[in-house]
Amino acid sequence: MTGDISLAHALAPLVVTAGAGCLALLAGVFVAARFRPVVNWLSVAALAAVVLLCALALPQAGRAQPVLSDMWVADRMALVFDIIVALAGGMTLMVLDPFTREHGFPREELPALVLFAVAGMIMVVHATHLVSLLIGIETMSLAAYALVGCRPRSGPGAEGALKYFLMGALATGFFVYGMALVYGTTGGELSLPGIASRAAHAGNNPLFVVGVFLILAALLFKVAAVPFHMWLPDAYEGAPTPVTGFMAAGIKAAAFGGMIRLLGSALARPEVALGHAGWARAIGLLAFATMTLGNLAAIRQESVKRMLAYSAIAHAGYLLVGVAAIGYGVAAAQPALIFYLGAYAATTLGTFAVAAWVGRQGDECLHVDDWSGIARRRPALALAMTLFLLSLAGVPPTGGFFAKFYLLRAAVERPELVWLVVAAVLNSVISVYYYLRIVVAMYFRNRAEPARGYPSIATGVVLVVLAAVVLMLGVFPSPLLALVQ
Amino acid sequence: MTSLAITTLLPLVAGAVALLLPGKSPRLLRWYGIAVALVTFAQSLCVLAAFEPGQAGFQMEVNWAWVPALGIRFHLGVDGISLWLLMLTTLMMVVTLLSPQATGFVRDRNRGFVAAMLMLESGMIGAFLALDLFAFYVFWELMLVPMYFIIGIWGGERRVYAAIKFMIFTLVGSLLMLAAILFMAVAVHGLVGGWTFDYATWSRLMLPEGTQLLCFGAFALSFLIKVPLFPLHTWLPDAHVEAPTGGSVILAAVLLKLGAYGFLRFALPFFPLAAHQTAPLVAWLAVAGIVYGALMAYAQDDIKKLVAYSSVSHLGFVVLGILTFTAAGVQGGMYQMLAHGISTGGLFLAVGILYERRHTRKLTDFGGLWARTPVFAACFLVIVLASAGLPGLCGFVGEFLVLIGTFNAGKAWREAGMAPAFAHPALMAAISATAVILAAVYLLTMFQKVMLGPLDKPENRDEHVRDLSWTERIVFGIVVVFALGMGLMPGPILSRSEASVDALLENYRGRLAEARGKPEAPARMTAPGGAGRPADMRPTWRGPRGGME
Repeated sequence: MTGDISLAHALAPLVVTAGAGCLALLAGVFVAARFRPVVNWLSVAALAAVVLLCALALPQAGRAQPVLSDMWVADRMALVFDIIVALAGGMTLMVLDPFTREHGFPREELPALVLFAVAGMIMVVHATHLVSLLIGIETMSLAAYALVGCRPRSGPGAEGALKYFLMGALATGFFVYGMALVYGTTGGELSLPGIASRAAHAGNNPLFVVGVFLILAALLFKVAAVPFHMWLPDAYEGAPTPVTGFMAAGIKAAAFGGMIRLLGSALARPEVALGHAGWARAIGLLAFATMTLGNLAAIRQESVKRMLAYSAIAHAGYLLVGVAAIGYGVAAAQPALIFYLGAYAATTLGTFAVAAWVGRQGDECLHVDDWSGIARRRPALALAMTLFLLSLAGVPPTGGFFAKFYLLRAAVERPELVWLVVAAVLNSVISVYYYLRIVVAMYFRNRAEPARGYPSIATGVVLVVLAAVVLMLGVFPSPLLALVQ
Repeated sequence: MTSLAITTLLPLVAGAVALLLPGKSPRLLRWYGIAVALVTFAQSLCVLAAFEPGQAGFQMEVNWAWVPALGIRFHLGVDGISLWLLMLTTLMMVVTLLSPQATGFVRDRNRGFVAAMLMLESGMIGAFLALDLFAFYVFWELMLVPMYFIIGIWGGERRVYAAIKFMIFTLVGSLLMLAAILFMAVAVHGLVGGWTFDYATWSRLMLPEGTQLLCFGAFALSFLIKVPLFPLHTWLPDAHVEAPTGGSVILAAVLLKLGAYGFLRFALPFFPLAAHQTAPLVAWLAVAGIVYGALMAYAQDDIKKLVAYSSVSHLGFVVLGILTFTAAGVQGGMYQMLAHGISTGGLFLAVGILYERRHTRKLTDFGGLWARTPVFAACFLVIVLASAGLPGLCGFVGEFLVLIGTFNAGKAWREAGMAPAFAHPALMAAISATAVILAAVYLLTMFQKVMLGPLDKPENRDEHVRDLSWTERIVFGIVVVFALGMGLMPGPILSRSEASVDALLENYRGRLAEARGKPEAPARMTAPGGAGRPADMRPTWRGPRGGME
């Protein structure tokens, strides 16, 4: 009996989200068009309920055991990630609804798609088994493919969605192939604890190493690490702007959550992580390539959205520094990564919400020059964007700064990673240059007819909340630190 | 005692509040800014009154838990060195906000200007007072963003270029410093067994030679870009010329001092060996900057650029003084920081007046203004002479002490039992002394071209070219009084900083001796308060006060 209750507790976030997704899908069919905002708000309420559930479950999460034959665990890390992705989903819905109405494609299935994507993310971060991890990744990704291409008659949208889908399908193939190799070389293990117990023995088997790297490649594809990043700029640019924010905040958090769990539990042993074919060194090199390429490519972008897309690649690079630190056995790396993902989610949602709000039907105002003089017309919006950009750049007193500080402090504990830390701070200087281009446009240049934006109280509320969160995480990071440690 | 916390945080909070005030009424905003600056100044006066001279350590410390999980504390404290820089900051902020050129000349968006100035003040005060490296870094960066906006929004023609250059130059240094801070935090953690960013603990950390050089490089780069030391100075003329008057005044008067202060406060005690080994290079660069800045200033036709290059020259003295590691040199460097703050701040205010009256900064456009603006001309003359280092005015004391300190450095090192920091200190002093002459040349040439000669240009006879208004008289009155007062009575200032400077130097020499003993030894913590120097090795030459008053 107690087992059933703990099972219900453990699965509650997923059940509520997926159930709400099904109901939202049905409501899209049966509910009259004028009640669609109500459906949207009820979906937001469902995600708020998930946040509440997870927050209530947090105090007991310390003793969480895997359930469903080692497929699922509701531990602290998973619950914190649940809160992050559910908040990201809820805020995305609040911004997406007015955005789609302004741009003339209010579609009934969007709340359902967002809810399904969040359900997939929740599965990814709870999964302690390669099968449940795969199902989570696929659920999340299928919903995301559809969200990217949800704007009708949009060429870039279709292009982005198709690229994302094709390359995502390839990544899934990698994942399944890797699973098969791991299964074969560990004597039939697919659960993460099981793999961990056999990894030391199987670690010498080249097929096992190949399998691990194939699975890693699939996850690196999801976080858009170099060289698996090609899809990202097109998908980010083609997607409706709030969806882009959702992908940057939610999918990145979930994919890194899955990666942390896989690498941190199943493959964490030093002989696996640091052996002659260990993954930690490889991740370190990829981290360097990812942040450098992302930042250098971002400098040349003229579209705000594409610039932020490359910046998302760069941030994946910074995060991979933390992942490499996990491989080197740094205990603080995992909480630092979770903190970074939380702060980054709030920041990037904010930037894309601003980007969504700047344009209007017929003119999305995504070129940097379109942002000229926004500070004059809409000072509060410009101030919020400045705060988010400073947070992305890692300038105090913002959440992005503290997150970077914490992450790099964790990495610097290992002398082997010091060069990566120096590379990361030098990369930050590059990033400041292009983030400031937006600030320069908003504040230092004038334009006869600056961007206008559309009326939306919900977007305003989301921005105020996100700005407050970003500032709080920078000035008083202790509450979130207490959660992630 | 929370007065330090109030002094630090009040402008920040007030700056945030300023963003909420109605933007339509510039008068309200202006007086709001002045009121906040005055209250902050009054707070710092309370700090000055409560300060006990003769004590070397930090006083009135505020030490609150900030991020306990990482050992980060909100730790502030004031000693004889930071006390005067705090006073300079709050005073110059009052002067700047009071000056109609600094605020009234802002084209629009006064709300943002007042908010940026106040937040900038908080950042500067916090950086001067912070005794926790994390807090220091946060305040250090906090100054950056408001100054970037001040240059970029309210600046001149090439303001965007200047603002970005300022930001990128400063960030390159400070982010490398962040990497060094992280590295040291881990080293301290390994030695004391807990996370801490506490200044006192960190100044006992002794890194092995190689890492010490690297970490010192990161810190020093950050600080010396800010000073700015030749050849890292190229951002400064751009930033100064493009910044609005208020921005230029604060930049010159206070912001640059943070570089020298940081060098003195952090780079020397943390990395004694590296500082000692690189001292010849840095000192020669300082001398080069002193002469180069003076020559460049002489070549300028733009008054603002002239003053900017004179800053490069004057701040070279500060760095040179610090690097002598003698009481006279360091005291002189510190005094030079204060004097430069007053005199160059005053010069930029005067340039602001000239530009407002005539809408030009070209020297050749002026001439004979004394006849039209006698009060302004008199004040301008005092400030120019103070900047040129005329005895009896503030600029003289600092430069004189630095030159004496450098000239006698070899003897002082021998007496203190310290290894010589660089060869030929007397030669350096001699070369630097030429810049004092050059300063008189370029500054007096400037004065002559602006104020003297025939009033032959019709624009200068225009009725817009009027004398100082009563607010401007107050502003210049304050500057002139301090220029005179600090020149005639350096005693009260130097006596309060003496104990702290001596303690800092003694600690430095002790740690240097310890480090030179075993340069390759792994990272370790030295004993608190300098590594056990015999009492009779204390410096006998007590430096600055004899003969100065």
